[in-house]
Amino acid sequence: MDTCIQKIREIAFQLLDKKEVERVIGFSNGTIPMATSPITIASKQDTEKLVFNSTCGLNLANYIRQQKGKIAVIAKGCDSRNIVTHIIENQVKRDQIYIIGVPCKGMINKSKIKALFEDDILKFDEDGDTLTVESSSKKETLSKKEYLRDNCRLCQHKNPVIYDILAGDPVKEQVLDVPYPDVEKIAALDADARWIHFQELTKNCIRCYACRNACPLCYCPTCFVDESGPQWVGKGQDKTDVNTFHFLRAFHCAGRCTDCGACVEACPMDINVRDFTRKLNKDAFDMFGWEAGLDQTKRPPLDAYSPDDPNDFIK
Amino acid sequence: MKFITIDKKNWAKGIEKSRETYRLFGPVKDKNGSFIRDLENDMLPDMSCHDSVLSVKSVLFPQTEKILFTTLDESKEDHHIMKRVPADTRQRAVVGIQPYDAKAIQLVNLNFDTDDYRDPYWCDAYEATTFVGVGINKPGPFDFSTSAGTGPFSETGLDVLMADLDNAYLAKVLTDKGGAFMVSCGFDTIADEKESRALFDILRKEAEKNISSQIDTGKLKDKTVLELHEAPFWDDIAFSCINCGTCTFVCPTCWCFDIQDEAKQKSAGRFRNWDTCMSPLFTKHATGHNPRDSKTQRVRQRFMHKLKYFLDKYDQGIMCVGCGRCVKSCPVNIDIREVCKIMNSYEKKE
Amino acid sequence: MGNLLEHMGIERDRIHFSWISSAEATKFVDVVKEISNKVRALGPNKKLVKDYN
Repeated sequence: MDTCIQKIREIAFQLLDKKEVERVIGFSNGTIPMATSPITIASKQDTEKLVFNSTCGLNLANYIRQQKGKIAVIAKGCDSRNIVTHIIENQVKRDQIYIIGVPCKGMINKSKIKALFEDDILKFDEDGDTLTVESSSKKETLSKKEYLRDNCRLCQHKNPVIYDILAGDPVKEQVLDVPYPDVEKIAALDADARWIHFQELTKNCIRCYACRNACPLCYCPTCFVDESGPQWVGKGQDKTDVNTFHFLRAFHCAGRCTDCGACVEACPMDINVRDFTRKLNKDAFDMFGWEAGLDQTKRPPLDAYSPDDPNDFIK
Repeated sequence: MKFITIDKKNWAKGIEKSRETYRLFGPVKDKNGSFIRDLENDMLPDMSCHDSVLSVKSVLFPQTEKILFTTLDESKEDHHIMKRVPADTRQRAVVGIQPYDAKAIQLVNLNFDTDDYRDPYWCDAYEATTFVGVGINKPGPFDFSTSAGTGPFSETGLDVLMADLDNAYLAKVLTDKGGAFMVSCGFDTIADEKESRALFDILRKEAEKNISSQIDTGKLKDKTVLELHEAPFWDDIAFSCINCGTCTFVCPTCWCFDIQDEAKQKSAGRFRNWDTCMSPLFTKHATGHNPRDSKTQRVRQRFMHKLKYFLDKYDQGIMCVGCGRCVKSCPVNIDIREVCKIMNSYEKKE
Repeated sequence: MGNLLEHMGIERDRIHFSWISSAEATKFVDVVKEISNKVRALGPNKKLVKDYN
C-alpha cells in the first residue's frame, strides 16, 4: 500500500492546486504506534501529511456531511459504499464529493496485535504483508493476513464501488461460499446461550457511544438514547438499557450497514458490536438479496415496499 | 514513617485476612483489558497491572449510582419525598492502583469537597476508602506523569505505596489509614527505614528515567483565557473528534455527572451517571438553546478545563495526572500531549 | 426486528407482529388469545427486563 500513498498525495496536490476541491479529507500519522487520525487539508503543501496504511480502520464517510463547498475524500471499498448510502439518503450530493478510491488490502486488528504483548507497543511498521511490531520486551514479525480485522477477512467489496479516481490497481475480490460464518456460529447456540453471549459481549460497555459516533450511518440529529421527551431508554449502566442501546442502534442500521468495522475500531472496550449488525446484514442478504451501498439507483429494502417482500412474520 | 516487608508467599493470605475489615477493590484482567473491580471471594488484585482501562475513580464515583429513592404510593405518608440511599460505610480498600490515580482523587476532591458544599456521596466513599498503590517500575510509552505533577512513585493521595521487589513487596506506610490496613492484613515485618528509603529512591529514579514522554505546561498560566479561547487552532484539533465520551470516561480526573430520575410502578429512584462534555446534550438547555453546539466548542472546553480553567481556579497545577489513558483510548488519536504543546506554545499574532 | 431479538436469545414466541383493521374485532381477539397462550407457556420473561434496584 506504500505506493498508493504517493498517488494519493499527488492526486490531493493536483486537486488543491487546481482548486477543484476546497479540502481533502484523509488520514494523517498518529502520535502513537498503530494509530492514524482523520485530517482535513486545505493547502497543497499539507498533502505531505496524508498517509494511508493498514491502521486506517475508521470510515471517512463519517466526515463528509455538512461540509461546505466541494471536498475530496479518500475511500476504501466499505467507505465508498457508505458514500453511496449517504447519496441515497440525501446526506451529500454526488457532485459535491470527489472520491479518491483506494483498493483495500484490509485493515489490521489492533487489539489482536496488542494482545500478543504484555507491555505497550513502541513501534509498528508494515511492508506489504509483513508487520513488524516492537515493545520494550520483544519484537514480533507478523503476517498481515493473519491479523486482519474480522470484517476485512470476510470482505467481498475491497474495491471502491464509486470513485472519481483510483489511487491504485484494483485488487482481486474474494467470493465467499459462507459469507456470514460468525452469525451462523451464534445462531447455532440455543436461546439461553445466545442470550449469555450477548450479555457477555456488552458487559464492559461504558456507553461512551464511540461505536455510534464513528458510524457514518448514525447521523440522526438526536439519537434515540439522547432523546428526553419522551425518554426511550435509561441513561445509566443498567444492563437492559445498555443492551437496548446496542440492539436498537443495530436495528437502525439494518439494510444500511456496510460492515466497515469503524464501530469496533472505535470501541475503547474492544466490544465486537458487529455481532449485532452482522445478523441484520445477513437477514437483508437472505431476504432481499441486498448488500448496502452497492448501487445508487436502488432504494434500500427498509425504504421501499414490494408485494414480494417476505411477510410471513405477520400473523 | 514506617516500612513493612511483605513476602509474596504471604500476600494472598494477608489480603484474605483483610476482608474481615475491608471490602476490597483492585485491578482484574478481563478479555477486554484490566478493570478496577469489586474483588469477590478469592479474587486477588493484579499487582502487575499498570494500565486499567478505567481509573480508581469508579470505586468512589460509580458510573451509575442510585443516590435517592422514594415511593409514589400516595397512601404512604412520605410519598414523593426523596430520601438518601443509605451510604455504604464499610471500610474499603483499593489495592494495586497506579500511584497517580490517587493524586487524581485529590484533584477531584477539590471539586466535591469544598467549604461551601460537600458532595455527601463522594465524601462518604472517600472517607471509607484506603488507597494502596504500587509503584510502576517500568512506565509505558503513554505515561507522562512526571511532567504532569505526579510520577510512577508519586505518594500524593495514597495511604500505602508499595514497591514490587521480585520476591517481596516493600510497603511505605504513608498514613494512619494505611497503617490500619497493614495491621488488618497481619503484615508486620518492619523493614529498616534508612535502607528502605534509599531503595524507594533508587526505584523511583530508575522509573522516572524510563519516562520518555513529557509535556510542557510552563507558559499556560500567563496566557489569558480569551487568548487561548479565541486561538485559531481549535478547528483543526477538533476535526477528527467524533464526540464520543471515551476520553472523559477513562480520565481519572473528570468528575462531571448527570442526574436522572427513573420510576417503576410505585417506586422511584434518582440516579447520577457520569456525563461527558463531549456530548451536545451536556449543555443543552431546556429551551433548546445550546451554548456549546459545535464539536469545536466542546473539544475546546475539555482541553481548556483541564489545562487552563482548572489551573487558574485552584492554582494546583493542571487537571491531568499524565496517566495517558485518553491518549491510548481515543478512537481518532487526539493526543492531549500535542494539544498541550499547541496551547503552551501559542503566541497571539498581533 | 424479530429476527435480531431472537438472535439475541429472546424466545421467538414472545414477539408477534400482526395487521388488524379496526373492523376486525374477532381477529384481534383471536390474535391476543394466541399470543397470551404462547407467552404463558414460556413463563415469565427475565431477559431485557430492567432490574430496578
